[in-house]
Amino acid sequence: MITNLIRVDAALKALAEPRRRQILRLVWSQELPATGIADRFRDVTRPAISQHLAVLKDANLVTERRDGTRRLYRANTRTVAELRAFLDDYWTSGLERLRDVAEAEEARKQTRTQPKKGST
Amino acid sequence: MAELVREIMIDATPETIWPFLTEPAKHVEWMGTVAELDPRPGGVYRVLVGGQNQSAGEYIEVVPMEKVVFTFGWEKEGNAILPGSTTVEISLHREGDKTRVRLTHRGLPDDAISDHTRGWDHYVGRLSVAASGGQPGRDTLPESH
Repeated sequence: MITNLIRVDAALKALAEPRRRQILRLVWSQELPATGIADRFRDVTRPAISQHLAVLKDANLVTERRDGTRRLYRANTRTVAELRAFLDDYWTSGLERLRDVAEAEEARKQTRTQPKKGST
Repeated sequence: MAELVREIMIDATPETIWPFLTEPAKHVEWMGTVAELDPRPGGVYRVLVGGQNQSAGEYIEVVPMEKVVFTFGWEKEGNAILPGSTTVEISLHREGDKTRVRLTHRGLPDDAISDHTRGWDHYVGRLSVAASGGQPGRDTLPESH
């Protein structure tokens, strides 16, 4: 799970940049060459796009495939799903533990006040 | 924007639950091993989970017995990973003698791609099970190490 967390960290970091989220969305359902991706971003230089792709690749968010001289990119849906699953578990189990300790505390309070209600 | 929402019904009053959200000694009873909490706007939120995973953020809003809102992220060595980029809101809703606790994690990275996220289906399935009082999954966090 710790390795998972580290991977999730990398994914979170990679996706903190809005441009990289746009790139990931582009290659979510279709494989695209780097040039094709760069063409969609008129205001970003080609080297900058390459840099973004490298970061996404390092974070396992996209896979890269070579076809002759071209490099083709596609989203790695598994990493994104893992991220959701991780956070889901993180908070779900957290809230369950919160419930357990809060209910135990509530029960303690009840037993403290109960004797007063009774006839002692 | 997509967000992760979890809800749980707790058989305790907001007054009983609140200290577990805001007092370090009580917070570590349910999450983390070390907690540094300064529950006021701008105050620090730092919870060490599993002995080595440092979550960190800053309180944005604190309404006693009702809700806390704080930024959330993980720090790693040489890699201050976006504490500040996502937001967590935990709100308490009194229902008789019980309290419905809702946790909303906003600003998650797949916001931009949620339309296409297949993993989302899996998540929604689990949510509906938990929301309808089904038995939730085991704690698989590093905390168990």
